[in-house]
Amino acid sequence: MAAPADAARARLRAERTEVPGRGDAAGPRHAAARAGAQVGYNPSQPRVPKGEDGAGEWTETDANGTPISKRPKGDRVRLAGDWPSNNPPEPLDDEPKNFTKEPATSAERTSVMKYIARRAVETGVSVAVIVGTARWLLLREAEIVSYNDPPASLDDLRKAVSTPAPGYDIHHIVERTSAEEQGFARAVINDPINLVRIPRLKHQEINAWYQTKNAEYGGLSPREYLSGRSWSVREAVGMRALRIHGVLKQ
Amino acid sequence: MRRVNLSLLTVPELVERFTACGMGQHDANWHGDIAKYNRLFDEVVRINDELARRPGDERKALVPLFDHPNPQVRLNAAQRALAVAPAAARAALQVLWDRKEFPQAAHACESLMALDEGTSRLI
Repeated sequence: MAAPADAARARLRAERTEVPGRGDAAGPRHAAARAGAQVGYNPSQPRVPKGEDGAGEWTETDANGTPISKRPKGDRVRLAGDWPSNNPPEPLDDEPKNFTKEPATSAERTSVMKYIARRAVETGVSVAVIVGTARWLLLREAEIVSYNDPPASLDDLRKAVSTPAPGYDIHHIVERTSAEEQGFARAVINDPINLVRIPRLKHQEINAWYQTKNAEYGGLSPREYLSGRSWSVREAVGMRALRIHGVLKQ
Repeated sequence: MRRVNLSLLTVPELVERFTACGMGQHDANWHGDIAKYNRLFDEVVRINDELARRPGDERKALVPLFDHPNPQVRLNAAQRALAVAPAAARAALQVLWDRKEFPQAAHACESLMALDEGTSRLI
């Protein structure tokens, strides 16, 4: 019998093939309407039973159609916070222990995805098992998995630009927007030598790093520090950003 | 966080405030609130300066925070105590990097690189 996570992914794949993409010939509005009809309200979807935490809310089912909340605890898909072995670091009180409900903001969704990726490394449990039946996370599995990519050579990161893939972004080593604002030519900014393909969540993490104040930049953010500086300094900081985020080999 | 006159606080109170700042920064990271993170960074600097100003340089009071469960608290403590407990602080930064506790691991790695290159602004 398929594992619960496999079954859930199989269901998702089946749904995904039916949901129209951006290129839907009937236009996005019609596509959205059809997608809503396909994945929206379903009166037979089980709810959390009365008296349990989250009673009345929609819930997911396992491969046998049993609501997850009804299964014996030892039989549930393992979630962060349940780790029984190898003395892993305990999750902080403000970190999530249940991923079924999609966070409201993009930043929180990103944080949950990174948390899951880190847990997968710390515990040796696959991302698919940790994600379980959380539909919103299944849709982003490629992003979560790619976050744990080992560091690569600069040559490999540059070569990968020509092969876009789910879970990856094209990243400018010298930040594009601030370089444009400082008057650097677009031909230089978008030159292949300035482009690398990196995991999407790492891309977002590096973007945030550029904006946060940093003790090693005299209390400035790297972006503030780089204001008015030369291309070579920007490039050095950009390369360092890739290294310290574990994207580029040291 | 309400701004207070740090010179009126005891060392344990300063350490408590320092810890609260780190936890607030961790929370800000989680929610993508960079402005809040940066405001708390400034408060961490203020507390660091106040501790350093006290007789005997009380930044050594941050050393117990190297074992705090919150990675941002550990990062802040290790960076700010580098001048008074360099070996232990460096080890704490190395743990953050080895455990890949991002985003703090990136800051820890950068501090380690700066130490190796002799360009650190923290010692």
